[in-house]
Amino acid sequence: MYVAAKGGEDAIQQAEKLYQHLNGTLTPELVRSIEMNMPYLVDRVMGEGSLYAPELAALALAQTGGDLYEAVLLLRAYRSTQPRIAYAAPVKPAEMLTVRRISASFKDIPGGQILGPTLDYSHRILRLDVLDNPQENNHHSHSENNEAIKIADKPASPNYPAVADWQRGQGLMAQLPEQTPVDAADIPDVTADPVLFPAPREHRLQALSRADTGGVLALGYASMRGYGLIHPTVNELRLAHAEVQVKHPVTGATFSAGRVRVSQAEVVTSGGENGKTGLTVGFAATLGWNEVKLIAASTLDMEMNQPSPHPAHTEEFVMYHTEAVEASGFCIHFKLPHYVTFASSVDNIRKVIATFYSSEEKSNGADKPTEIQSETATSEAMPS
Amino acid sequence: MTTSLAALAAPREDYSYAFLDAYAKRELRRRTLKAIAIPGYQVPYASRELPIARGWGTGGLQVTLSLVGPESVIKVIDQGADDSVNAANLRRFITRMSGAATTTDALQATIIQSRHRIPEEVLQENQALVLQVPDPEPLRAVQSDSSKAHEMHADADYGQMWLVLYEQLVRYKQYIQGASYPSLVNGRYVISPSPIPRWDTPKLHQSPHLTLLSAGREKRLYAVPPYTDVRPLEFEDIPFQVEDQRGWICQHTGAQNKFMNEIPLADGTAAYELSDTGYMEKLSAEANGSTRGATYYDDEGNFYHAGYLKPPVQPD
Repeated sequence: MYVAAKGGEDAIQQAEKLYQHLNGTLTPELVRSIEMNMPYLVDRVMGEGSLYAPELAALALAQTGGDLYEAVLLLRAYRSTQPRIAYAAPVKPAEMLTVRRISASFKDIPGGQILGPTLDYSHRILRLDVLDNPQENNHHSHSENNEAIKIADKPASPNYPAVADWQRGQGLMAQLPEQTPVDAADIPDVTADPVLFPAPREHRLQALSRADTGGVLALGYASMRGYGLIHPTVNELRLAHAEVQVKHPVTGATFSAGRVRVSQAEVVTSGGENGKTGLTVGFAATLGWNEVKLIAASTLDMEMNQPSPHPAHTEEFVMYHTEAVEASGFCIHFKLPHYVTFASSVDNIRKVIATFYSSEEKSNGADKPTEIQSETATSEAMPS
Repeated sequence: MTTSLAALAAPREDYSYAFLDAYAKRELRRRTLKAIAIPGYQVPYASRELPIARGWGTGGLQVTLSLVGPESVIKVIDQGADDSVNAANLRRFITRMSGAATTTDALQATIIQSRHRIPEEVLQENQALVLQVPDPEPLRAVQSDSSKAHEMHADADYGQMWLVLYEQLVRYKQYIQGASYPSLVNGRYVISPSPIPRWDTPKLHQSPHLTLLSAGREKRLYAVPPYTDVRPLEFEDIPFQVEDQRGWICQHTGAQNKFMNEIPLADGTAAYELSDTGYMEKLSAEANGSTRGATYYDDEGNFYHAGYLKPPVQPD
C-alpha cells in the first residue's frame, strides 16, 4: 500500500535502501572503473547532463545502478546548484585537437579523411573468448584483434580545416555572417531563460546538445526515413579534444583550464527551399563523443530551418520532446497516485450512464451516445 | 598567533538556503509577482532542475522554495493525503533545505503545496496555496502547439473551448470534462486549474488566500490572487456541476458532503473515506480539543458562496 496510513516516510526510505542494496556496494574503485572503462557511457551522461565532469558522471552511473535517465537527472540537479564562475572562449573547429574527422561528401578532403577511433568497420561479434580466460579479463591486449596499435610513420596533424570552408570558397554554401564580438554573459542560455518559440538559435543548439540521444535519434530517423528532406549528407563529423580557455580573473591572461571531449556534426542537402542555389546546412555539437546523436541532431537542425517542416520536426516539437529529464520524468510520474482525477472522470461516466441508460430513458434508445469510449478519452486529455 | 584561512571563511555550505541559488529565487519571485499582477496569465520562467524527477512536483516545489523561510509552516499533500509517498518526499526535501516547520493542519500552514486537491477548510488571507501543475495549457486539447495557444490567449480566442463544451452537451446532455475544468479568471484568461477535481474549482473563486500554480516541466506559472473571480466555463442555461458524491459517508468519521475516495471492496461494493487526511485527522481528534475551521461545503453540501453552484439542468 503506497499511501500508508502513517508509514509513507519510512516506506520511501526503505525502498531506496533496498534499491541501493540490490545494486551492490558503491566504492571509489567502482566509480573510477566506470570512468576509465566506459567512456562513451560517461560521455552520454555528461552530454545529456550538460555538465563535463567524468568523475561525477561515473558516480551518477554507479549510484543509480546504470539507470541512464536517473544518472542524467543526478548530474543535472547537481549542475543547477553550481555557480557560473567564468565563460570559456568559443571553441574553433580548426584549433581543436581532432582525433577523428570524416566527410561523406568527397572521396578526399583537405587534410584527409581521418578515421580515428571507431567501431564502424568492426565485425559485431561478441568476444566470448574473453569469458573463457578469466585471468585475462582485465587486459584487452591478448586477442589478435587487440594487438598493440601501430604507430603511423608520420603522425597525423591534430588540426584540420573545416570541409565547409572549401565549399564556401566554391560558392556552394552561403558565406558565414559577419561576426560581431558578443559578451558571453549575453548569450541566451536555455538552462536559465524561459523557452519561447521561435527560439533563438542558441537555445536550439543548446537544447540539441543536451537532448536525449534516443529521442533525437527517433525524430531524426523519422526525418531521414521519409518525413523530411530525404537525405542528409554527412559533410563533416568530428571527434576532438578542445581546450577550455578562460580568462584569469586577476591578471586577465587567457589560459587553458583543461581539455574536454567534444564532437560536432554538419549535414548538408540540396533539398529544401534554397537547396538548388546552395547547400542547405544543419549543425549540432555536444560535450563528449556521441556520433549517432549528432548526425540525427544536425539533421533535425536542418529540418527545423525549413519553411513548413513535418509537424514532428518543428522546433517546438523537437525541443520539447527530446528533453531527456523532462520526458523521462513525466513518463514515470504516471506511477504516482491519480485517484482524485480518476474519480472525477468516473463521476462523468456514471452521470452519462444514468442519463442514457436509467430505466425511464431506456425506451428512448435512439438517443444513446455511440462514441462514449473515445469521448471519455477526450475528457481526460488534460494529463494530471 | 595565526588565523587560518578556514577560520576566516564562512562555514562551508553545500547548497544555498532552500536549495535554489539567489538568481533562481529572484527570477521566480519576479515571475510570481507578474503572475499575481495578471491573474490567470501563464508567465514563462526558466525552471531549474531539482533533485526530484521532473513531472513530480518540481514546478510547485520551485515556487515553494522561493517563498519558504525558517519561520514558515509547510503542509504538503498529494491527492489530499499528507502521508502519500510523494508528498512525504517533497515535505522531507523542503524541510531539509529550509528548516521550516511542518503541519498537517490546513489552517496552521503558511504554505500548502498540493497535488490535485484544495483542502476542505476555508483557507485564510495569510496563506499561500501552491498547486503542482502537469500541463498549464487549457487549450492543449484544441491546440497542441503552445505558440499558437499563446496567441489565442492574447486574443481571448476561446471559441473552440465553448465548442468542445457544446459538443459534450449535444452528445451526452452534460459537460464531461473531468478534473482541471477550464475556468475563466478575472473575466480574462482561461486557466487549467491544476488538475483539481470539479469539487475544488469553486474554492478558487473570491478566496481569501493566494493560489500559485506552477508547471516545472512546462516552465509556466500562473496565479489566482485573493478575492478574484474564477468561473468555470458554463453556458447560462446548463450550469457546471461538481462531482456527485451524495450519500457517500466516510467510513472513519461519518462525515459526508466532502470530497471522498472511493475504495473498491472485494464483494463488489465500495467504501468511502475523506480525501483530505488533515481534515479527517481533525474530525477524529475533535474530542481532544482540536479546532476545526469553516469548510467550503457545509454538512448538507451547500457551497459557502451562496448561488455560485446551481442545481443540475440537462438540455432537452
